[in-house]
Amino acid sequence: MPYQLKNAPADVRESLYFPEIFRAIGIVITTFWRNAFFSRDRNPDVLARDLSRSRVTTVLYPEEKTNYAPGYRGLHRLVPRADGSPRCVACYMCASACPAQCIYIEAAEVEGDPIEKYPVRFVIDELRCVVCGFCVEACPKDAIRMDTGEHPPPTYERGGQVYDEKRLLRGPPVSYDYDPWLRRGARLPEASMKQMRQLARPFAKDAKDEFSQTPGFSVRALASEAKARAEESSR
Amino acid sequence: MKRFVGMWLVIGVVLVGLFGLFEVFYLLAGAAAALAVRLGAPGFYGSAIANTITLMAILLMTVAALLTVAERKWSAAMQDRVGANRIRVFGTALGGVPYLLADALKMLTKEATFPAARSRFLFELAPVMAFAPTFALFAVVPVGPTAEVLGQPVALLVANPDVGLLWIFALAGLAVYGTTLAGWASNNRAGLLGGVRASSQMIGYEVSLGLSLVGVMLAYRTVNMQDMVIAQGTPVFGPIPALGILLQPLGFLVFFTSSFAETKRAPFDLPEGESEIVGYFVEYSGMKFGMMFLAEFVEIVILAGVVTSVFLGGWHPILFEGWLKENLHPVAFAGIGATAFMAKMVVLCWLQLVIRWLLPRFRFDQIQALCWKMLLPAALLNLFVTGAAVLLDPSLTLLAWVGVAEIVIIFAVTAAVARSPSAAAEHGPDSGHAAHAAGH
Repeated sequence: MPYQLKNAPADVRESLYFPEIFRAIGIVITTFWRNAFFSRDRNPDVLARDLSRSRVTTVLYPEEKTNYAPGYRGLHRLVPRADGSPRCVACYMCASACPAQCIYIEAAEVEGDPIEKYPVRFVIDELRCVVCGFCVEACPKDAIRMDTGEHPPPTYERGGQVYDEKRLLRGPPVSYDYDPWLRRGARLPEASMKQMRQLARPFAKDAKDEFSQTPGFSVRALASEAKARAEESSR
Repeated sequence: MKRFVGMWLVIGVVLVGLFGLFEVFYLLAGAAAALAVRLGAPGFYGSAIANTITLMAILLMTVAALLTVAERKWSAAMQDRVGANRIRVFGTALGGVPYLLADALKMLTKEATFPAARSRFLFELAPVMAFAPTFALFAVVPVGPTAEVLGQPVALLVANPDVGLLWIFALAGLAVYGTTLAGWASNNRAGLLGGVRASSQMIGYEVSLGLSLVGVMLAYRTVNMQDMVIAQGTPVFGPIPALGILLQPLGFLVFFTSSFAETKRAPFDLPEGESEIVGYFVEYSGMKFGMMFLAEFVEIVILAGVVTSVFLGGWHPILFEGWLKENLHPVAFAGIGATAFMAKMVVLCWLQLVIRWLLPRFRFDQIQALCWKMLLPAALLNLFVTGAAVLLDPSLTLLAWVGVAEIVIIFAVTAAVARSPSAAAEHGPDSGHAAHAAGH
């Protein structure tokens, strides 16, 4: 609440100093009484809290969390189709749009299909990500979203912040009947489908699961590795 | 609502616990006195030793240590915060009390660093000089009345010298040495400046501290603290006892303000002003700093105790006192009295924290002006008025009327809001500006 500050000179009563102090003591005592003897409203929506008794607006963070706004750009996820395969077709649009160059994709052809591709590697380095959301905007297939409402949980190793396709593929599936992929009946290899279905699950509570530990990841290193492999095969 | 009930429950449990604790203290003092008599010494020797351990080493140190926690939690409540609650024991923060242990552990295990060019002996001596005189002040503060335990008359009072209040002045004056020596011996100019500030401030306020109590000495015709507390139990207006705050409201104000300056805490914390100089203990680390830190809190407790016993009736429970005295065993009444003393003392400690978070720091010239231009004349005026009133009417009734008049004047001036902010915004000459600003 805005209040008025005035530069009027102190009157006699204010110059006496003590009366104003007594008044202020009254104010502080009221505040103390309200905060010490009445419990705090724990409503995560801080602005809607009932401040008629306790005036504390603290949110004790790890135990209590405020609700993020609907447009909050959280942790990325790869959107699965209804059958569990990723919607991603490995077009590299997101990796190209990414100003931080934190997305690494390795594409593979779907066996027996003349057109379709899918990502065998899809890695996002969350430490490099600047959370601009360009990848979401760039995606033509609605395959990458930032709608998880989470931020990357803290880890003790840098590698824990590198999320690969196994950890990214999760959340509610999105499927459209007119999806050419479905219409053509393209199927991923059964083994990788099985693995994906197995791994499409919420994050572990801590960073100790096997997929958190990807030490030494770098997009550049992965890219040069892939390049070397390509050169090897072309030779 | 759960918290409301819980808080009152905690307060009740603490009061009952204190009552039990004081009963135990009385029993220990009585036992020690009986033992001393059996060994051929005066009984007072035994009870004094017992009281030194129970009151000074246990009670005073516990309250002072808990005050460090209270400083965290109470100031949080005053500032709409939650306060320290990260140390959890079985899922509960226990009101922040575990921070006490964490603080002690940190102080004790911290690396002690020293300036190479320190004056070694004085540097080591300073924390002791800061702590010891402060600590010894509590010896003359009467916590409980005299009662007969195991055939020996004992009181919760370490020493009962006839000099009483003079002991307090003498030792409070000694406490200046600790801060000044700390500032000088650490060979640091910020430290030296803090020490000099501390010494000039404390010596200045010593004067008004002493003068404000002369009125009390006149009114009760004694400097012995226990006698002073007993004298406060005599009725002056019908059932109303002759409390120091009733007879000497002005003296109370001056003494309370000066005791703030003595504790060197906000708003008088210039010797340790964090934002300009760190203060006289800038070169101290580990438990040596902890001693200075603890001395500050001990001083808060003790000055609250002195104010309680000189101005607020000490161990007189005041409410239902006659009934309690008639219907209870003397030792039980004494325990209730000591509990009442503790309750008043803790409330005063709390009031010091309120004021600590209420007022911004003074400038140094303002501190000196407040001392020499306001408090000292006020104390002198109080002294003359008290002297005249006691001379005219030795039964203290006139003095009580003067005190009531002072209280009424203070309340009236406080209640008379000269300029209500909202009213001024509507009718004041600058309301046009306000509307203009609001438009944008």
